[in-house]
Amino acid sequence: MRKRLLSLGLALTMSIGALAGCSGSKKTSWKVTCPWAPSGVAAVVSQKAAEMSTKYSEDTTLVAEAIKGDAATVNTWVADTKANDPELVFVGEGLLSITSVLDPAKMQFTYEDFAYVENLYSSIFVLSADAKLNINNISELESYVAQADEISVAVNGATGSEAFLAASLFGAMGAGDKVKLTPYQSAAEAAQAVAKGETSFAVSHQSQILETYQQKGVTIVCAFDEKALEHGPFAGVEGVGESGYPYFRNRCFIMARAGTDEEKVSQLKSLYDEILADEEVVTWLQDTMLLEVDTMSKEDVEAHINNVLEIVNEYKDIVAG
Amino acid sequence: MLQYIIPATGLLFTLENILWINIGVFVGSVFAAIPGLSVILCVILFLPVTYTMTAIPGMMFLLGIYCAGGYGGSVSAILINTPGTPHAAATMLDGHPLSEKGRTKAALKIALYASTFGGIFSALTLLFLGPQVARVAAQLGTPEYFMVCVFGLTIIAGVSGKSMIRGLISACLGLLIACVGSDPMTSYDRFTFGISRLYLGLDLAVCLIGLFALVEILAKAEKRLDDLHMDTTKIKDDGKITKSEYKRMLRPVLLSSLIGVMVGIIPGTGASEASWFSYSQAKNMSKHPEEFGHGSVEGIAAAESANNAVTGATLIPLLTLGIPGDGTVAIMLSALMINGLNPGLSLFTTDGDIMYAIMLGLILVNLFMFIQGKFLTTIFAKVVSIPQEILTPIIVIFCFAGAYSINNNYFDVGVALVFGILAWVLRKLDMPPVPILLGLVLGNMTETNFRRALLISNGDPSIFFSSIYCIIFLVLIIVAVATIVKGKLSEQKKAQTVAVAQEEE
Repeated sequence: MRKRLLSLGLALTMSIGALAGCSGSKKTSWKVTCPWAPSGVAAVVSQKAAEMSTKYSEDTTLVAEAIKGDAATVNTWVADTKANDPELVFVGEGLLSITSVLDPAKMQFTYEDFAYVENLYSSIFVLSADAKLNINNISELESYVAQADEISVAVNGATGSEAFLAASLFGAMGAGDKVKLTPYQSAAEAAQAVAKGETSFAVSHQSQILETYQQKGVTIVCAFDEKALEHGPFAGVEGVGESGYPYFRNRCFIMARAGTDEEKVSQLKSLYDEILADEEVVTWLQDTMLLEVDTMSKEDVEAHINNVLEIVNEYKDIVAG
Repeated sequence: MLQYIIPATGLLFTLENILWINIGVFVGSVFAAIPGLSVILCVILFLPVTYTMTAIPGMMFLLGIYCAGGYGGSVSAILINTPGTPHAAATMLDGHPLSEKGRTKAALKIALYASTFGGIFSALTLLFLGPQVARVAAQLGTPEYFMVCVFGLTIIAGVSGKSMIRGLISACLGLLIACVGSDPMTSYDRFTFGISRLYLGLDLAVCLIGLFALVEILAKAEKRLDDLHMDTTKIKDDGKITKSEYKRMLRPVLLSSLIGVMVGIIPGTGASEASWFSYSQAKNMSKHPEEFGHGSVEGIAAAESANNAVTGATLIPLLTLGIPGDGTVAIMLSALMINGLNPGLSLFTTDGDIMYAIMLGLILVNLFMFIQGKFLTTIFAKVVSIPQEILTPIIVIFCFAGAYSINNNYFDVGVALVFGILAWVLRKLDMPPVPILLGLVLGNMTETNFRRALLISNGDPSIFFSSIYCIIFLVLIIVAVATIVKGKLSEQKKAQTVAVAQEEE
């Protein structure tokens, strides 16, 4: 009797379990892998997007995950996924335009391995100067560069985007041989270096230099963009593009695996577009993260990658020696 | 400040906050007690939970994990001779020997009391001296960081065991292993042998699993099961700490809390460095240096108070300058940013009540850690009585799961295994593993700051003597080296006296 009751109970539990599995829900969870630090800008924005996804879609949920490792993480992602897997990954110009030129052996993937979904954000880097130098704009910078024997610039990592932006600006000013790039372990450290007097300049993301700027430790010279900054505490800072110097924005491309159905990619793009158009998200990106919403087409992305590639090829000798 | 304290207490003392603190403390203690499951991993895993909360309960939950993680790592270090987190490695040197003497509960209690004191000390420093301390810390640059690292390397002599030469060889091995990966100054690969994952370098937590946990398993495999069974009938583990032991703990706890705060405010350094600095300092200043490594209460107290004193100190540069003091705090920064708070001194005027609520909350977190720890100590202490044939496989599973979970790949599991075998070979050669760990902890930081300082000064070594802080660290290094030499000479003298006495007999 006891055995029969136990068997009956077990069968009942299994049936309930099976029925629960046939509930008819078609909700798909897309895992979004950020291959950079979990505390970084991309990971934080990805978390915000994941949080907002439930507001804009009933059948698609974004699940943010950050596994630092850069190319190594993307290598694993490419090796472990196939078309139509509910997996997304971030790549940026760092991988597609810098690593691919300087250290291609690290990358076991190409742009062709991905299907572009959307650009998560755009970040405009700024050049800050030691407050003692009193350099506040590009023309004062040009005067300084003309008479300086050495131009020391703090950057995040030896061959990152910041290093190439510094190299391209001073290289285009004809002072490539005077530039001394000093690499730091993090963007925050690099931003602080200039206030401590270890370097004369620093290239950093706006949010990383904000506090030092507010404490009057640095001046903001220019922004690495086409025109002057429009939003945030640095609004009005002139863009290097206005003076004809090269520049690029830091972008974060959301990618699916190549071969994924166009309809799925298009649905994901629409979801991200809705999230990025949300007023709360726009305000948060602009005011807290000091980033910009910058949705892009596939053609824009390819143009961005090629622009950075050109800069990297032209100024790689200054950066990598 | 006072105008913010009252609204801050109103914001802090809610049922929701108290609940989240306690959940965080419990999760952090248990997580950190498991080798391989580091505090940073725990914070990453639970971070999404905070995104639906407002800033204060979210931060209270994460601070609960962070502080309790500082204490939790000592549990496995004491019980199974494997630090749950890298910063509990110094605790292991005396915690486990004391446990083997049948005083497991006492060792756990010393760790808890010292952790709580260190945590509250740094929380009070954050509350009353945060902005002032941050301004001093902001003056420390690359040459000062290098001097801190050199000071750290003097510890090798103290943890080398019987032979200084063997200790130095081990430390060099650790420094060499720390070179694996991308060169921090040029990004060129070093010692990667074409293995793509190696360019990221070797994760400290993974190496730790191999060096301390897996090697214990391999060593156990060499013994008969009967030899592994502990005679628990003879143990009267009442967990009592004597008055004289409390007295002896006082000085190292105070000094180590101060060291922990000083190390914590320097971005890039963390609890591991603080616990080693303090352990070394406590040994140098102790009247019973011979007890260190054999269950010294001072050793446990110094290491634990220091690694928890880091918790509040790392928040100082974060909340005042927006610079995270260590990796875990950097992740907490995102919890603030997602709530629209961009840390910095200006936030003290715009959202002063929230800032002070967080700082007051840190004191509360440490108090709840103490209360929970008192109960958990009794449960944890029972681990030593679990039969080895049950405990060992569980440890192995946790080790491999922990190694995998750090970067979600099997490569790290292989690295842990390689380090386990390496540590086993070194054990056979009588080489101490702790200096390897020190080399791993300090190697990258020492090299990077040394090379960067020379880059800044265009190769002029006088940069290392260019500031008052450099001179202070230099004096500390000289004092530390002199103390070590004096200690070694007196050890040799004692050994000679004993040898002469034995010959006369």
